[in-house]
Amino acid sequence: MAPPTTPAAEAPAVTARPRAAPATPSSPAPIPTLLDFHPLEDPRFTEIAAFFDHLRAGRFSTTRCRRDGRLLWPPRTVCPECHRSELEWVDLPRHGRIYAFSAVLAGAPLGMEEAVPFAVGLVDLDGVPLRLFGRIEGRPWTELAIGAEVNVEGFDLPDGRIFYRFRARPASPGAPG
Amino acid sequence: MSERPEVAVAGGATTRFGVRAATWSELVQEAGRRLFEAIPELRAEEVDSLFVGAAEPERFAFQSHVAPLAAELLGLKPRRILQRTELACASGQSAIRSAYAAIAAGLSDVAVALGVEKMNLPSMAEANTSMACVMDRPWDGAHGATAPPFFAMVAQRHMREFGTTEEALAAVSEKNHRFANSNPDAQFHAKSFSREKLRGLPLVAPPLRLGDCSSMTDGAAAVLVVRGDLARKYTSNPAWIRGTGQYSDWHNLANAGDLTDWVGLRQAGREAFRSAGIGPADLDFAELHDCFSISEIVAGEALGFCPAGQGGAYALDGKSSLGGEIVVNPRGGLLGCGHPLGATGIAQAVEVYRQFAAEVPPERQVPDPEWALVHNLSGSANVHSLMVYQRGG
Repeated sequence: MAPPTTPAAEAPAVTARPRAAPATPSSPAPIPTLLDFHPLEDPRFTEIAAFFDHLRAGRFSTTRCRRDGRLLWPPRTVCPECHRSELEWVDLPRHGRIYAFSAVLAGAPLGMEEAVPFAVGLVDLDGVPLRLFGRIEGRPWTELAIGAEVNVEGFDLPDGRIFYRFRARPASPGAPG
Repeated sequence: MSERPEVAVAGGATTRFGVRAATWSELVQEAGRRLFEAIPELRAEEVDSLFVGAAEPERFAFQSHVAPLAAELLGLKPRRILQRTELACASGQSAIRSAYAAIAAGLSDVAVALGVEKMNLPSMAEANTSMACVMDRPWDGAHGATAPPFFAMVAQRHMREFGTTEEALAAVSEKNHRFANSNPDAQFHAKSFSREKLRGLPLVAPPLRLGDCSSMTDGAAAVLVVRGDLARKYTSNPAWIRGTGQYSDWHNLANAGDLTDWVGLRQAGREAFRSAGIGPADLDFAELHDCFSISEIVAGEALGFCPAGQGGAYALDGKSSLGGEIVVNPRGGLLGCGHPLGATGIAQAVEVYRQFAAEVPPERQVPDPEWALVHNLSGSANVHSLMVYQRGG
């Protein structure tokens, strides 16, 4: 378990934030906000903007309740167990193993059609009771296996936002999966 | 406190399900016309309440405030309770459960529960976008989590833990498509799907193939739900609502736990059977939410039709077919009928009514049924909703 870091309530105000990149003639048409899946990451729209700042800084984080120690995913502003806002940011392990996976071969939503086929899976993070869902990059779905190791990394979206994805480790002799 | 009144489904009807050249409103009207045709004694002014099961009209039809729109289309002027119910894939059953609760509480006497979804759009990517926002949209949906990859992971784990085979998945799908051939309102009516053909269809989300997945479907359905002492005015074959159960224990996929043990369904099942005073062995048939072939397998296990891990064998051995143990999805299921989200739970209740009334073709008629269970899951099987019906004597 990573040590506690900046308490959420005391997180410093964010000033420098990459803005959406200006559209260029080669950019795809922007997706309207209400057809866009990715979170609005700006502190004007969310109280957990620090998650994305951490991701940009190479940290994968979430909130933990300081009263009951409960690790909350996704990052919350109130603990659903004790209903208090005494939360702190903690770093999560950036390594885990695949519990289950599949791939989207058809029927992708707007903005994801060009990525087809892409792999998705549930990953057990090392050492914490969290099994997270996410895209799996790095190897085609046909080369993935239950138990295979993956890393968590920040993935830059075309408009300047960032999100996390898993990256399967390259095949190596003796590696599971 | 006075005794709670009994509640019955006194008839119902569905539209044809499929890719329809019809709008959301036209589907509502078609279901309404067929409802009034099916129950000639029903007069619009007797209906005091309307519950409209609609999962995503804002997305699929760009229409909100749909309950009064549906009332207008049906020629109803609800004077007691008018509301929409939304629970994604279980929106239709939510409408029936709400009508049941209202009547049991003395707040309604004669209610219509109508379900509808218009899902086929010029851009199916937009329709898929709507399906992905059923999940925790900014965290799971943003990774491409729609239903197929989620249920594919359920199938993958079930195969790994219990040795379930693609042949077992195909057996479920083949059975439900076969039943759908005796249901002229089914999306895949008069289409033949052998196990061999199903296993040759393209992968959608491995290991699930096209025939393992229910379709994007346009359709509507409606039932009349009435206070027990009024039922005989409308039908000689009331389907009595004897029990319900529901359980919701998570939403973000991080909280899904064991994919092959649907704890929430076991919980809902205990409550449904307890409230009805029966056990699974008393059931003559069940309408299980086969949005995917694997769903019928895992649901049957959680409901106690067979031991954990044996759901595949249950289908392969014919125990879910006519002549087996508990007939599952004689209507044709979501796989054979299609899955217009808001309409599905209502259409299942229509099937229960028709089975009890012996109004269905012999190819799918369960012999002399007394007890039936209807199951809807919603989202990523994180919510389970159940109703138990008994044939009127």
